[in-house]
Amino acid sequence: MIELRDLTKKYGGFTAVDHLDLTIRTGEFFGLLGPNGAGKTTTISMMSTVLLPTEGEIHIDGCRLDRKASAQKRKLSVITQEYSMRQDMNMEEVMEYQGRLYRIPRKTIREKTSELLEFAGLAEYRKRTVRHLSGGMKRKLMICRALLIEPEILLLDEPTAGMDALSRRQMWNLLRRVNQENMTIVLTTHYIDEAQALCDRVALINKGRLQKLDTPESLIRELGAFAVDETGEDGLVSKYFHNREEAIGYLAAAGNQASLRATTLEDVFVVCAGRKL
Amino acid sequence: MGIITVLWEKWVEFRRDFYKITVAAMIGPLMYLIIFGMGIQTTSHGEPYLHFLIPGIVAMATMTGSFSAIAQNMSVQRLYEKALDQIMVSPTPLWQFILGQIIGGSLRGMYAGCVILFLTFPIRTDLVFTGLSLLIMFLNGMVFSTIALVLSFLAKSYTDAPRFTSYIITPMSFLCNTFFSTDQMPSGFRDVIALLPLSQTSAMIRAIANREAPGLFGFAILAAYLAVFGIISVVFIYRKKNL
Repeated sequence: MIELRDLTKKYGGFTAVDHLDLTIRTGEFFGLLGPNGAGKTTTISMMSTVLLPTEGEIHIDGCRLDRKASAQKRKLSVITQEYSMRQDMNMEEVMEYQGRLYRIPRKTIREKTSELLEFAGLAEYRKRTVRHLSGGMKRKLMICRALLIEPEILLLDEPTAGMDALSRRQMWNLLRRVNQENMTIVLTTHYIDEAQALCDRVALINKGRLQKLDTPESLIRELGAFAVDETGEDGLVSKYFHNREEAIGYLAAAGNQASLRATTLEDVFVVCAGRKL
Repeated sequence: MGIITVLWEKWVEFRRDFYKITVAAMIGPLMYLIIFGMGIQTTSHGEPYLHFLIPGIVAMATMTGSFSAIAQNMSVQRLYEKALDQIMVSPTPLWQFILGQIIGGSLRGMYAGCVILFLTFPIRTDLVFTGLSLLIMFLNGMVFSTIALVLSFLAKSYTDAPRFTSYIITPMSFLCNTFFSTDQMPSGFRDVIALLPLSQTSAMIRAIANREAPGLFGFAILAAYLAVFGIISVVFIYRKKNL
């Protein structure tokens, strides 16, 4: 279980994360959503101890996480938004470095590296330097690196950024699979469909503050499960309804310029962010 | 264990960039040896100037080798590659990472110093280099690796590394007992220069080269720098809020 207690991060006068309280259950697939600059990456960076909070604490399974907490850090693996790897190492060296940092026996490192690179379709590039990999390949390598250590908690900051649609779907399947093995996953993403497809619960944050926290289904239900998109003078406007009859009634009155569809988590995000920004 | 991991990483880097590292370690000192030692032929205290110059160049090569290995590498890892994030989140104790960097940087400095010793070996001098000389080179390398670590944690941009070299390494190279004896300097200035680590390293290596005993004061100065900057780097990596 991960607990964020009153977590705050300030840069001078700017508050990036503002007294954030969250509890993420063991084995949960948890999404952290918000517009650009909402504080998602800062939160992940504090959870990986790269940044230290100005106020508040993070606890993992009841023990406080800080840079000295090797036992807690052993449970964590992080995939950052940037390609945080030695650019002049080849794939095998990147994996070996990671394995050594986590004190994994070298034989195990070699075996798991082969297995993971094979699985990610990277095996034939194992001797290629990171600098010479495409963005998607670097992203896959970061995931292989993160999974090498078999973490209990996986922190993912925009893990599918720069990936094509097929690779994204492959990644979703992989993340679902590791989550089913009771790995806790914390995900930040700009792809709201990704969060809706994967996450058990999502937290919507804006300007560093928690706005909403619930399952995607509950958040959608709260807004209204039926959406009518209407093209008017102000562009596309969506209206949300709790039952189909209401939505159909509105649609009939609106004429040809409207269409009915199911509300998505993206609607919740847009409404929430739109109100606050 | 973490120390071995960092040394392994340094070894991977060294193996990959062996020629670049070796040539970079040779060019500057070799130019100084050719220009000041062979081109401008002169004497110092009745001895060929090369006898004075070689120990200073060895000390200087150790300093620049160690400093550049850590300052550039860590600045790029921290600010450009963000590879330091991988270290921060790992369970490897961060003090072991720091110590690994210091030892790894020092070994690179020693390599640069040994390259100069190798190059000057054919020159017939009576200079002596012993195990104690190597120990002093190693200690000097540790001092400058530690200084480089602290500066790279303070760097705001990875282009700061060359600036640190301009501000710290270049003045020390010229002032600290490398090319000329600091005995002739005005007393106050001389005392300040004497407190700088390269001055003491040059003096100690030169003393051994001339079959004299190195002063303990030199070891004390190097140990003091190592302790102060070592503590600062450990405090930074554990306490600095935005690494």
